[in-house]
Amino acid sequence: MEGTMMLSRVADHLYWMSRQMERAENLARLVRVSEEMLLDDETLGRGSAQEYWTPVLTATAMEASFRTLYPRPVQGAAARYLTLDQRNPDSIVSCICQARENARSVRDKISDEMWSELNALYMLVTSREGADLLERSPQSFYDKVITSSMLFDGITEATLTRDEGWNFLQLGRLLERADMTSRFLDIRSQAPAEADAAVEPLQWGAILRACSAHACYRRQFGGEITIERVVDLLLFSNEFPRSVRHCLRRADEILHDISGTPTGRYSNACEKITGALLAKLSFAGPPEVMARGLHAYIDDLQKQLNTAGQTIFETYVLLPGEVSRHFPRGSRPDTFSDWQREQQQQQQQQ
Amino acid sequence: MLLNDYKAAALFDELVDEKGKIRPYYQGVADRLAGLSPEELSQKIRSLELLFLKQGITFTVYGDDRGTERVFPFDPFPRVVPAHEWEHIEAGLIQRITALNLFLYDVYHEQRIIKDGIIPTEVIHGAAHYRPEFVGVSVPKDAYIHVCGTDLIRDRDGRYLVLEDNGRCPSGVSYVLENRTAMKRVFPHLFGGGVRAVDTYPSDLLATLRHVAPHENPNPNVVLLTPGVHNSAYFEHSFLARQMSIEIVEGRDLIALDGFVYMRTTRGLRQVDVIYRRIDDDFLDPQVFRKDSCLGVPGLVDAVRRGNVALANAIGTGVADDKVTYAYVPDMIRYYLCQEPILDQVPTYLAWRPDDMKYILANLPQLVVKAANESGGYGMLIGPMATKAQIEEFRAKVVAHPRNYIAQPVVNFSQHPTLVDGQLEGRHVDLRPFVLWGDSVKVLPGGLTRVALKKGSIVVNSSQGGGSKDTWVLAH
Repeated sequence: MEGTMMLSRVADHLYWMSRQMERAENLARLVRVSEEMLLDDETLGRGSAQEYWTPVLTATAMEASFRTLYPRPVQGAAARYLTLDQRNPDSIVSCICQARENARSVRDKISDEMWSELNALYMLVTSREGADLLERSPQSFYDKVITSSMLFDGITEATLTRDEGWNFLQLGRLLERADMTSRFLDIRSQAPAEADAAVEPLQWGAILRACSAHACYRRQFGGEITIERVVDLLLFSNEFPRSVRHCLRRADEILHDISGTPTGRYSNACEKITGALLAKLSFAGPPEVMARGLHAYIDDLQKQLNTAGQTIFETYVLLPGEVSRHFPRGSRPDTFSDWQREQQQQQQQQ
Repeated sequence: MLLNDYKAAALFDELVDEKGKIRPYYQGVADRLAGLSPEELSQKIRSLELLFLKQGITFTVYGDDRGTERVFPFDPFPRVVPAHEWEHIEAGLIQRITALNLFLYDVYHEQRIIKDGIIPTEVIHGAAHYRPEFVGVSVPKDAYIHVCGTDLIRDRDGRYLVLEDNGRCPSGVSYVLENRTAMKRVFPHLFGGGVRAVDTYPSDLLATLRHVAPHENPNPNVVLLTPGVHNSAYFEHSFLARQMSIEIVEGRDLIALDGFVYMRTTRGLRQVDVIYRRIDDDFLDPQVFRKDSCLGVPGLVDAVRRGNVALANAIGTGVADDKVTYAYVPDMIRYYLCQEPILDQVPTYLAWRPDDMKYILANLPQLVVKAANESGGYGMLIGPMATKAQIEEFRAKVVAHPRNYIAQPVVNFSQHPTLVDGQLEGRHVDLRPFVLWGDSVKVLPGGLTRVALKKGSIVVNSSQGGGSKDTWVLAH
């Protein structure tokens, strides 16, 4: 055990580093495919561009903050808000900045190559060149973000020791991927009810492309796109690596690897949650989803995923068993003002 | 080519002597540098700085809304220190850290040096970093300053003078190591052999830290305590922790329980024995020092008092690098060691002495005035370069708080050829060697040569437009 233990804070940073990279990648996938669709949509002369973005903003829980900052949004405002707006804490650039901040805090725990890739992406998206690229060729910009994140994943796979750090890093990536895939599925539910039924297959096709799932879909189901089949692939597939079930199964295995408990049993609250969630997905399919309603089903799923993330934090970072008697109930040791900590960190020098 | 146009100024030049001849120990590197065109040099420097930026070898500049990360500018012309000069510096630094550690032990125990009338009691008690709470508390091996970074400059005659001792949390050693790595990678042909290696520093530092483990623990858990990623020296903290293979922790990772300190790991709590702390005393423990500290560990000081955890450097060393105390270091050396100081230092006027005050107020435009407890080039007036308003501002400050200010004559730092826009120009340099006080005393053969990149400037601090160069101590 001696060799595998790590600082709880380090585990937390690794978890969030990969989680935020994955979030940036998925947002880039989402915006890229949405922009593509928008081009089609506008040539067809349907709807306004702003209405078009509403489901995307709602599914990613950014609609309210967007409306506050842009009461009367202009052309392109939504895509910009999702991409380069640093005032949006969940924009692509904010996610990359946070991922890098986490990486900087564990610089001694990740490989130089991982750092270089993440830092290069950070330098691009925060630079003038990055903004120019987005202006000139949005598709290249989003491609760059997606490729860089996948490269980061590959470098991690090829350079990082398989210890506890690796496990926490994988957990972050998998839980975020599961969450984002479920959000992609939710976009259609956010569209206005009177949305044209004729474009529906087009939109499901776009969602499949956003998840790199179109080839897999075609192989499995052929050409015709139906909602049940998309749900079957993106929620319940055991083989497709971006499906919610696949991500959860791997996350569950990793949690068991961390605690040393055989899968199928549980030794702590996080294993209990992922195990239950996995069982639910293993013994259900599109009919159950349609019966409950797609949006409601996904809403439940996201709540459980949130609980899983929170529980991992409590189990491995907060260590409630050992620490609770030193921190009064309700006051987490990290509820200090981040700003104040930042100021004090800067004051130390000689 | 480059060297033909180089002009030495009317002060000490590291490269050429007063007749304009290259000093013999610089001949080798100067010959090898002459083979490079200015374009080649500039191009190599650009690629090097890009490399630093990509690797995150940066420091953070304060004052910006969000701390901006910058690369510490690097100059390719190495500073060369011949063996006989280094022997002198090394002996002087060892003598100095020995006296300072004896002084600190004395100040926190019997205070003989006050009773014997060598240092006035007001000097000690007026030092902002004096910790009366620690009088009578013993620290492992009586070691107070484990790591010291002493700033040296050279006067008109080339004499090395101590400008200040940094005995709290001196920084910069990572640049010494990174600069050497970079030089070896980008300019391998400049090395002609005979340059002393610096890469044993991390293992020497680790040995120094293990040496003070409480209860003679043979396998202590040593950690580095950092303020966090927003600190300007964060890169260095992370670099040193990685090199020593020890954990880098923040205050929130540590918990003090019943007089022991633990770190929170994914497998529960694990005891910590030695803390190489890179945060100031004030922030260490909100129960004892600053109550609003988010960086410290409540109960840490209690664990230190009980001798269950060791801090390097110890609490309270700031009384030794106070700029007023500095004026008394030569007397300390005579008092504790019965020796004459090997290294000279800059004459210092103390504003709280009435005669000195008169002199300071009458000569402000010619003097450098420094706040007694500030570092990093902050809180300082350089008389000859200051505006009238700045001088008056300092006059008021000195009069209001005499204990807080000292004044020194402007010492013309030596200059060193430095690449500026493809030309070699003389720029002022200083030197910060690093000294480790462990089982034995070790001086890292080299140090951080900082260079003031602005023409004529003598402020070398990274936060204020300084750069650095590799420092070569020759073996023979």
